[in-house]
Amino acid sequence: MFKNYIKIAWRNLIKNKAYSTINIGGLALGMAVALIIGLWMQDELSHNNYFTSKDKIAQVFQSQTFNGETDTGPAIPRPLEKALREGYGDNFKHLIMATWTNDRYLKYNETSISRSGNYMQEAAPELLNLDILKGEKDGLREINSIMISESTAKTLFGSEEPIGKVIEVNNQYNLMVSAVYKDIPFNNTFNDTEFIIPWEQYLSSNEWARNAVDNWGNNSYQMFVQIADNANMEQVTDKIKDVKKSLNEDSIDFNPQLFLFPMKDWHLRSNFENGKQMGGRIKYVWLFGIIGVFILLLACINFMNLSTARSEKRGKEVGIRKSIGSQRGQLIYQFLSESFLVVLFAYFLAVALVLLSINGFNDLARKEIIFPWSDPIFWAISLLFILITALMAGSYPALYLSSFKPVDVLKGTFKAGKYAGLPRKILVVVQFTVSVAFIIGTVIVMQQINYAKNRPVGYDKQGLIQVPVMSQDFTGKFELMRSEFIGSGAVSQMSSSSAPTTAVWSNYSGYTWEGKPEGFQEDFAWSQVSPEFASSLNLKIIAGRDFSREFATDSNAVLINETAVKYMGLANPVGKYLKDSNEEDPAEPLKIIGVVKDMIAQSPYEPVKQAVFAYDKDNSSNYYNMRLNPDQSAGENLAVIERVFKEHFPSIPFQYDFVDQEYGRKFAAEERIGTLSGIFTALAILISCLGLFGLTSFVAEQRTKEIGVRKVLGASVYSVWNMLSKDFLKLVIISCFIAVPIAYFVMNGWLQEYPYRVILKWWIFALATVGAMLVTVITVSFQAIKAARANPVKSLRTE
Amino acid sequence: MLVQLNNIFKWVQSGGQRIFLLKDINLEVEEGEFISIMGPSGSGKSTLLNVIGMLDAFDEGEYNFLDESVHSLKEKDRSRLYKQYIGFVFQSYHLLDDLTVQENLEMPLLYKKMKSPERKAKVADILDRFNIVAKKDLFPAQLSGGQQQLVGVARALIANPKLILADEPTGNLNSTQSKEIMELFKQLNQEGVTIVQVTHSETNAAYGSRTINLLDGRRII
Repeated sequence: MFKNYIKIAWRNLIKNKAYSTINIGGLALGMAVALIIGLWMQDELSHNNYFTSKDKIAQVFQSQTFNGETDTGPAIPRPLEKALREGYGDNFKHLIMATWTNDRYLKYNETSISRSGNYMQEAAPELLNLDILKGEKDGLREINSIMISESTAKTLFGSEEPIGKVIEVNNQYNLMVSAVYKDIPFNNTFNDTEFIIPWEQYLSSNEWARNAVDNWGNNSYQMFVQIADNANMEQVTDKIKDVKKSLNEDSIDFNPQLFLFPMKDWHLRSNFENGKQMGGRIKYVWLFGIIGVFILLLACINFMNLSTARSEKRGKEVGIRKSIGSQRGQLIYQFLSESFLVVLFAYFLAVALVLLSINGFNDLARKEIIFPWSDPIFWAISLLFILITALMAGSYPALYLSSFKPVDVLKGTFKAGKYAGLPRKILVVVQFTVSVAFIIGTVIVMQQINYAKNRPVGYDKQGLIQVPVMSQDFTGKFELMRSEFIGSGAVSQMSSSSAPTTAVWSNYSGYTWEGKPEGFQEDFAWSQVSPEFASSLNLKIIAGRDFSREFATDSNAVLINETAVKYMGLANPVGKYLKDSNEEDPAEPLKIIGVVKDMIAQSPYEPVKQAVFAYDKDNSSNYYNMRLNPDQSAGENLAVIERVFKEHFPSIPFQYDFVDQEYGRKFAAEERIGTLSGIFTALAILISCLGLFGLTSFVAEQRTKEIGVRKVLGASVYSVWNMLSKDFLKLVIISCFIAVPIAYFVMNGWLQEYPYRVILKWWIFALATVGAMLVTVITVSFQAIKAARANPVKSLRTE
Repeated sequence: MLVQLNNIFKWVQSGGQRIFLLKDINLEVEEGEFISIMGPSGSGKSTLLNVIGMLDAFDEGEYNFLDESVHSLKEKDRSRLYKQYIGFVFQSYHLLDDLTVQENLEMPLLYKKMKSPERKAKVADILDRFNIVAKKDLFPAQLSGGQQQLVGVARALIANPKLILADEPTGNLNSTQSKEIMELFKQLNQEGVTIVQVTHSETNAAYGSRTINLLDGRRII
């Protein structure tokens, strides 16, 4: 019997090629999207699964309150280590101090490479569950050792045995390779930890770090913990939250609250607003999950609609089958197995589509998702997914078709009742509501990105490169290098700064000024710059003057930005002083000599932070900012710069970033969402149109006789086209009325996250509405015009 | 007694009025009979046939089929009875377009849950008997009207029913084809199959052993 059903189903598919293509193709497309989104969600949710004790690992975070605003972050002071180890040690299985992940030059013989890594305490390999390929697990015990990742070992040593080899780090000190560990997979934090050096080494080579041992005010380090097996995160947090406050009186004003930020939240729930955890990427996991379900729903709706639309054709079959002894249950079973067959077919097609597009998707979404061929859970879920889709898509036609009375359909008197088309119409409305809402959403996301992109950055980021110069080799070489680079003709202006132009690395407080309100807790973005900073960036001075090498006093001068002027409440900032608030041993006051335009260093969606650019008198440059010679091509300039660089620093790899590209990266997350939602919207519309196309062709076919009679009576092609299109257009207009308020509500909510945001304009909604109607008319017209132009004699003769 | 209808009424409600499709029909069909139902269009011939065939319900009266009272049977039992004893032949053949001749013939047997070897044997048997072995792999659309109806009759017959109900079986056929089919019915009847046919044609009605005349849902003598 089943074989017979399959046979009929198969022949039906073959016979109605257009219908089958629309049905299977549309469903496959919907399923492929749902599958890809499913894989993406799985990837997001399994972030950090590499770490076997994921549930027990946490990073210690700190919230502090300045002027009523609470900042939360991972930076903690060194004395906290001792306080936790001594006072609360039995709550932790492992506790490690670590630096920030940073680039270091690793050199072996003639090979010199730049890799990112950390300085960490001894328990790191345990906590990170490192898979040691060679060497010893406790490879951080000796101060002069280094653990490196497999790929780092391969690049440095090739096929040579890495263990015991000596690597020179940043031209500063030599370390012996004690272990090689398997690379931490892409989908994990610490994926960019390509080497680990003992924390002790960090302390011994950095005096300020050594000195910070009792300094509660220096929040510059990270601490990772694995809590004891019988402990739980909340309880430990409760115990440690006030440790800093109780041991460090100076900090009470800022109310420092310590807490454990669990590893399972690192990736998806990492936003903090005013000290409260406020979600994060999990929002997008939900968003895309919903999109996936909707797109699958659209495809299922097509299937349902096309099946019921064909009901009058299949109705005869139902009648015959019933008249030769079929029961209703058997018919339901038959239609469900047909639906299952189609869904199965679509599924395999969808898998093929996924395989074809997974690489492209990975590039777009910055993922390394591989198709889980060997994962039984995946296949089990797939089977469930197929069954559910088959039921979803097939149940309505199955129940509807099988309910036909044989006498009615066989006598040919069967006419679908007045309301038989109603569910179909409702489904079309649902489809277009989703599509129109998607269109509006995508347009608004794109607009917001463009709006932020077009925001003036305050300086000229074109033709500007930044070269990291963090190694000690560069110390004191700025003047020399500046004259060398400018002399080479490749660079027209050059400055140094302690932070890149596209980020804020330091925030300072501890200053007073004339008119500072009592109790005001100041906080400035701070960068030390060479005198040419403004001129190399083409950063406009809007009051006062730039630094000058002519004035020796400028070594105690600063530039501030426009926002800082407002922030400090200064009417005439130029000539005012920033004084050290430490009264016992004050540093020299800093004179404000000029005001520069606001320059976007952080998020392009946020207001610019109050910033101070101080004259760099202690060689604290981390970046060279070079304005390339505009008369030559960038390629030529870079070749020259690299040659000059290599002459002076032969053992350091030449690295650089174009500032405009670096700035562009700030949009990466939003652009990814924009691109993906654009693609999904296009697919949603395509699927909806496929369905509409199929539906029109059936309606046209059903009404062939009516059209024939009308034409014989003198109807024009236009009036027939109008008659067929009007019905569908009505549905789409209803959809628009439903979609517009929903989209407005959702997108308005999304935009609230961005302080710098585009204003929603009515024409976006109008555009989406008109677009949807246009697409409908075009889709419907294909069939409508064909039906309208058909020769009536032919259609009438078939009766 | 194969079929016994006592005071059968069937009506539809239209604007507060009952319009009778069948009015007080009494009919007995003995095994081995060949009955023709005649009457003008709309007189209720097909309705009566469908009621006998259990495809259609009635509103009042009693219907006994082989001493089982159909009116009080459940849907499932009715279906069982029907599958076992009744075969239908339609004016417009009503073969399944997507199945070949052979597969169309197999269909009723599938619904009777007959095992495959037995099914194959029966199909081969009837193909042979109706002389359509050569056509077994063709689809209905590839056959002439007469041939399609031949398959229609063969399908009605394949499950060895006691009663064949034919609703204007020759209505779509030309006179030669028409004659062939009627000859076939006659032969089947001689072999013991009970037949009730609806027809417009006096010639066809003459093949039967007796004729029932209907007018406006009523039997007229």
